[in-house]
Amino acid sequence: MTALILDIITTAAILFAVSAGLLIILGVLKIVNFAHGGFLTIGGYSGLVVTELGLNPWFAYPAATIAGVVLGAIVERFIIRPLYDRPLDAILATWGLGIIIGQLITIIFGREIQFVQTPITGATSLLGQTYSFYRLFLILAAALVAGGIAALFNATRLGLEARAVIMNEPLARGLGINSGYVRFVTFCIGAGLASLAGALITPLSSVDPNMGVPWLVNAFMLVLVSSVSLVSLATAAITLGGAQVLVSTYISPVIGGLTIVVLAALLLRIRPAGFGHG
Amino acid sequence: MADLTTATATLPVRVASTRLRFVGSIALLCIAAAVAGPYFLDSYTVNIMVRSFLYAAAALTVDILWGYTGILTFGQAAFFGIGAYAAGITFTYMDFSPQTAVLALFAGIAVSAVVAAITGWVSFFYGASPLYVAIVTLALPIIFVQVLYSGGTFTGSSSGLVGYNTFDLSVEVWFTICGVGLVVLTTAAWFFVNSDFGRLLVAIRENEQRCTYLGIDAPRIKLLLMVVMAMIASVAGYAYAGYTVVVAPEIGSFVFGTELVMWVALGGRGTLVGPVLGTVAIDVTSAYLSGNLPYVWKLIVGSIFVLVIVALPQGIAPVIRSGLRRLWSATSRRIVAPMLAVPALVEASEGHRIGTGSDAPALDIADLARSYGSLKVLEGVKFKALGSELLGIIGPNGAGKTTLMRCLSDGFERTNGTVAVFGRVIARTPPQAVVGFGIGRSFQATSLFETLTVAQCLRLARHRLDGANLLSQAPTLALPESARHVITATGLDRELAIECRHLSHGMKRALELAMVLALEPSVLLLDEPTAGLTKPERTLIGGILVDLVQRTGLCTLIIEHDLDFVREISTRIIVLHQGKVLLDGSVAEVVGSELVRTIYAGGAHAEARP
Repeated sequence: MTALILDIITTAAILFAVSAGLLIILGVLKIVNFAHGGFLTIGGYSGLVVTELGLNPWFAYPAATIAGVVLGAIVERFIIRPLYDRPLDAILATWGLGIIIGQLITIIFGREIQFVQTPITGATSLLGQTYSFYRLFLILAAALVAGGIAALFNATRLGLEARAVIMNEPLARGLGINSGYVRFVTFCIGAGLASLAGALITPLSSVDPNMGVPWLVNAFMLVLVSSVSLVSLATAAITLGGAQVLVSTYISPVIGGLTIVVLAALLLRIRPAGFGHG
Repeated sequence: MADLTTATATLPVRVASTRLRFVGSIALLCIAAAVAGPYFLDSYTVNIMVRSFLYAAAALTVDILWGYTGILTFGQAAFFGIGAYAAGITFTYMDFSPQTAVLALFAGIAVSAVVAAITGWVSFFYGASPLYVAIVTLALPIIFVQVLYSGGTFTGSSSGLVGYNTFDLSVEVWFTICGVGLVVLTTAAWFFVNSDFGRLLVAIRENEQRCTYLGIDAPRIKLLLMVVMAMIASVAGYAYAGYTVVVAPEIGSFVFGTELVMWVALGGRGTLVGPVLGTVAIDVTSAYLSGNLPYVWKLIVGSIFVLVIVALPQGIAPVIRSGLRRLWSATSRRIVAPMLAVPALVEASEGHRIGTGSDAPALDIADLARSYGSLKVLEGVKFKALGSELLGIIGPNGAGKTTLMRCLSDGFERTNGTVAVFGRVIARTPPQAVVGFGIGRSFQATSLFETLTVAQCLRLARHRLDGANLLSQAPTLALPESARHVITATGLDRELAIECRHLSHGMKRALELAMVLALEPSVLLLDEPTAGLTKPERTLIGGILVDLVQRTGLCTLIIEHDLDFVREISTRIIVLHQGKVLLDGSVAEVVGSELVRTIYAGGAHAEARP
């Protein structure tokens, strides 16, 4: 029982961390970044490079974040910016970008599945249950990500401007906010967060050029039912992630893999605002 | 007048026959190529092209759904997969025979149709966002593949089924069958998208909301289209399984679904030849190059795809087409005008108007309320209107005038109260069904279909009553007398072949009015029909409206800000203020009222309340 509850909480934490980058890009840019899976993969391979260079495994996280931010900056300038007015096309273009990232990684690192060294190993005893240290660490990591985003949006000038852009972009522009700059920075942060999440999940999921795709689909669904709110995203992650764990444990892992997709699609049908407020 | 009618009637016939001959000869050439192909191409190419033809057929269904109707779908891969697995499973467990071959084909089609109907029912509802169908169709292939994995040895799990007995046909025969099939499918699709029904699909893509207010059941049309396209994709998948003797989860996967969309985007969405040729070209090239440059090739396709989406959103086909057209004009020194058929206007048969001869009031509103949370926009609105009345509705901004129009034209909009047209209470139904109760509404902001011609817009308005041809364009357009009167009086009859976006503002307003009249409503709701018009245009429209009400007894509600205009044309005026009916009386009563003056002059709200 304890193991099940811990599984639900840690799964929710992972899903939250993986989806956060997608959420803030959708919120501010109104664009679904289908290259999100590609950025997750970049993060995973950043961890691999750190391992191969023989560096301290903790370096994987800053390295992944920086790689994501830099790549995000290039992508925003050349692909995202021309597509602001065509959100459905942006889905396709970013999906194409995901393919490009996947193929480049295949050419550089090969197709085979690789493994990355983890900074934390072993297990601990918690409430009479032996549990993986790393999964527990992910709860902390997700909390840090959430806290970081909340602080950024609520306590900085950029955050204020970003919220203005989310609510009413033409008006924000009229008030002298450089919405192009806000979008650029947001995209970079979103890409950086995605890449960081990719590094965080590597010890749990093996590293291969298409590792991001299954995560992308779940993250996409979670973000859509969250209507651009961190609190809703956390609710969605714990509810749907919990359902996934329960179905995988008691029914079948195969159907468990579909839980989030199916439940999210049905939820949106019944209540288009999802977990958000009407 | 008689001469004019015959002239416009023969023109579409001639244009149509030129088009027919052009398309027919190209189709015949392609069929000849499909028959002769195997004699000229090496066996490897023939082998690859059979597969490409089947992919192209699936891509064509994506193009009709996405390129023409605006439904971004990743789900066609699942239907292709269902068709393929129907063949694979049947031939593996029941062996191959003519009977099982037919059984497998129909099983695949039936399962696809049912799955598509469920998908469509989930995806298309009144008010669904265009992104939602992309989400559902993205989930579909993922679910399909997981079902295959769960099937264990029965479905062959991740490695699929191989080596079953299948059709005993040579590769060359397959080439001809699939090639001819693709040509026939593409030609049929050409007639379909160029028909009146095809224009309807484009209208749904461009402005679905406006379609619903014309009484067009867009969700149902999209659902039916999805079912038919799923069946076609399933037949392509069935042929794929019969030809390759292998079915694996990849052919029904999400990745294949996105590849289909990519091929359509590269070839040119909203053209038929583009996606078909694009798919064949990309698939054949990848077969040749993926041996030597496996990952580089996919990288190149991905890069070109991103480039095309960013720089050439309409794909490559339109670029080539306009290039060819320019070349042709330069060499032959003739300007190639796009061939547009203009239908002849004829009289519509009478008798569609609901409530003619009824004793009940045309419009009966009781206790109507609309609130957003605690904010009450309309409260306790109650009035009746008769068939011969032209009711002016006035009130300051924010009084709830447009909300009133919405509550009358959309059954889901009102929070409380009833609305009845000739005694029939309007149910909680979407606008397309409310049109059936006899309500026609025009919009405050001009809301038309930018790339459709005037004639096509008018035909859309007639779809509810007259239907639409599936494979051809009707040579005539039947309109009620009132709509034809508006068209001739405003000179729109000379602009029937002009696309709406090229019309002047006044013409657009007139077309909007003509479209609503073409619905043959019993109650006409006009939201500032003369906003932004010049004085003469205003007078013209006003005269037409007065004439309509007096002669045909059409109950008309009109929202206006120009008090002088309202005074001239109305038979009665209702003043709305803060969501309530403040005054309801004759023109003289209302115009002379001190209260109205106070409201418009911005008097204190407390004083304004009776």
